[in-house]
Amino acid sequence: MSMQPSVQPMTVPLVDDEPPVSLWRDAWHRLLRNRLAVAGLVIVVLLAFVAVFGPWLTPYDFLSQDLNARNQLPSLAHLFGTDDLGRDVLSRVIYGTRTAFVVAVVVTAVAVVIGVTLGAMAGFFGGWFDRIVMWLTDMTMSVPNLLLVVVINASLKGPAMAWMEARYLETLNPFYRETVWVDFLLVFGSMALISWPPYARLVRAQVLSIRGRPYVTAARALGLTNRLILTRYVVPNALGPLIVSVSAGLGTAMVLESAFSFLGVGVNPPTPSWGNMISDGLRVWQHYPHLLAAPAAVLGLATAAFSFLGDGLNDALNPKGSK
Amino acid sequence: MLRYVATRLLLWIPSVLLVMLAVYAMAFYGAGDPIKLIFLRAPGDVAYNPERIEAIRQAAGLDRPFLIQFGSYILNLVQGNFGNSLTSGRSVWAMISAAAPVSFKLGLCAIILTAVIAIPLGMIAAMNQNTKTDYAILGSALFLWAIPPYVAGPLLMVLLILILPSGSVPYGWGGIFDVRILLPLIVLSFQPIALIVRQTRAAVIEVLSEDFVRTARAKGVPEMAVAVKHILRPVLTPVVTQLGLIMITIVNGAIFVELVFGLPGLGRLTVQALTNSDYPVILAITLIGSFLVMLSNLLVDVLYPLLDPRAADQMRSR
Repeated sequence: MSMQPSVQPMTVPLVDDEPPVSLWRDAWHRLLRNRLAVAGLVIVVLLAFVAVFGPWLTPYDFLSQDLNARNQLPSLAHLFGTDDLGRDVLSRVIYGTRTAFVVAVVVTAVAVVIGVTLGAMAGFFGGWFDRIVMWLTDMTMSVPNLLLVVVINASLKGPAMAWMEARYLETLNPFYRETVWVDFLLVFGSMALISWPPYARLVRAQVLSIRGRPYVTAARALGLTNRLILTRYVVPNALGPLIVSVSAGLGTAMVLESAFSFLGVGVNPPTPSWGNMISDGLRVWQHYPHLLAAPAAVLGLATAAFSFLGDGLNDALNPKGSK
Repeated sequence: MLRYVATRLLLWIPSVLLVMLAVYAMAFYGAGDPIKLIFLRAPGDVAYNPERIEAIRQAAGLDRPFLIQFGSYILNLVQGNFGNSLTSGRSVWAMISAAAPVSFKLGLCAIILTAVIAIPLGMIAAMNQNTKTDYAILGSALFLWAIPPYVAGPLLMVLLILILPSGSVPYGWGGIFDVRILLPLIVLSFQPIALIVRQTRAAVIEVLSEDFVRTARAKGVPEMAVAVKHILRPVLTPVVTQLGLIMITIVNGAIFVELVFGLPGLGRLTVQALTNSDYPVILAITLIGSFLVMLSNLLVDVLYPLLDPRAADQMRSR
């Protein structure tokens, strides 16, 4: 802060020239005051950076095997050591970060789009549409979600792969050889399927409470269309709690993906994922603890970071502590 | 109240039917060929024999259209017949009723352990807000939350192998009064404890600013009595509503914990059934799992008015 010049013309501004401090700016400042939340934010940004620029950061190729350097403990050449095929663990963890972020972002994005659309419409229009949406969320939430995803993947992966293979033989289009698309569709799709109901419920509850506010009544009295009211007044006001739950959802999606990989229904093995690495590491960890420690620690770090950030965002966006 | 419970149960039936239809469809059009599984355990049929396969298909009624098969499955279900496992040929009901008590006892113990440990810890953290005690409790809760059960389980197990003399490693099941239950129980409770500690802490902090707490303190009620009588009671309401969430965490966690510690419960049965595409078993487990989650949600709704009389008024006025 520089010193203010002491001599000032005596003009009293009738209207405050300073732009009003917006809700978001206020929340941002509150977030920055929370040390844990800032730590979480820094870790999340760092991991996101690693995920985006992974290929330029890895010291080795994540698939290249060095059979002379198998199961090495961490050293200067291999900071996290090497695995049973002589692959560099650090490079694999970095690529695993990519996988984790892709899974988390895609799954959460799909779940949020479905959840927000259905929830906002259910809350705004009410009636039979509301009842159907609520029934769907209740139903999805009443099935043990892990079981549902595992069943979907276990039963549909085989036929989907066979279908791709048949299409490839028929058309010789190389697109059909990339079985990774099946992974994407089934793993991501089933995860999104179990992840959208909480968002729908949250947004519906928000919309129900906002719908009765005076400014919405005023907008309606002015003759604004439903769509305009929804997009301009209702959705922005429901955004705060949604951001909090998205932050938590990103962390949950990462943990879920690793759980599925552990059960053998996640992203397919040549693609490195933390869950794959953890389940491989569990088999040999008495002898080579670094193979388990590295991915497990990074997964724990990411979960904790998202959790800190979510708590901080909650405090920052809902200062009254109201839920 | 009775009518409310009955309505909820009735509403649950169509949703679970739809879920089972979806799972049945995946089994029907999906990967696992049940004939192969039956064929494999039929004695003397080592060679691939198309006629024999057709005979099995007809005998098991697997040549009928999808909806008829599903309908007859549901009809059998209503009569209490869950069908037979495709891999072992045993009745699914027998397999479930052998495995379920193990999981139920484990889950119940985990819920009790969670309540006993997490609620006091959350209260202590909140009443010492922003002190070292608070940070220590919150920090450990977060640490527990960040370790999934499939990592915590093996790690603790190997740790014990290193400490204990060989041969006394806790593996297998001996009932809830057996020492071997301790490790799986602790691992299973990690995440629920973390969840409830944070919930309780947040709820207590909110209650602490209420007038009635200030009044109680002002008139000299001992701090212990304030904590138990004036704070715990209103805090229980939001915490109990988390029971459904805890239930899902425990059902999910049990899959990993039973696998790692070799407990013959529903979780291990699930994984076995999934690796074998043993759909009669998977369907039965889906049904039971959904029933459990529904039941715990219902329990929350029934308990809620007892804990919060205001909710009871609302319910009556509806």
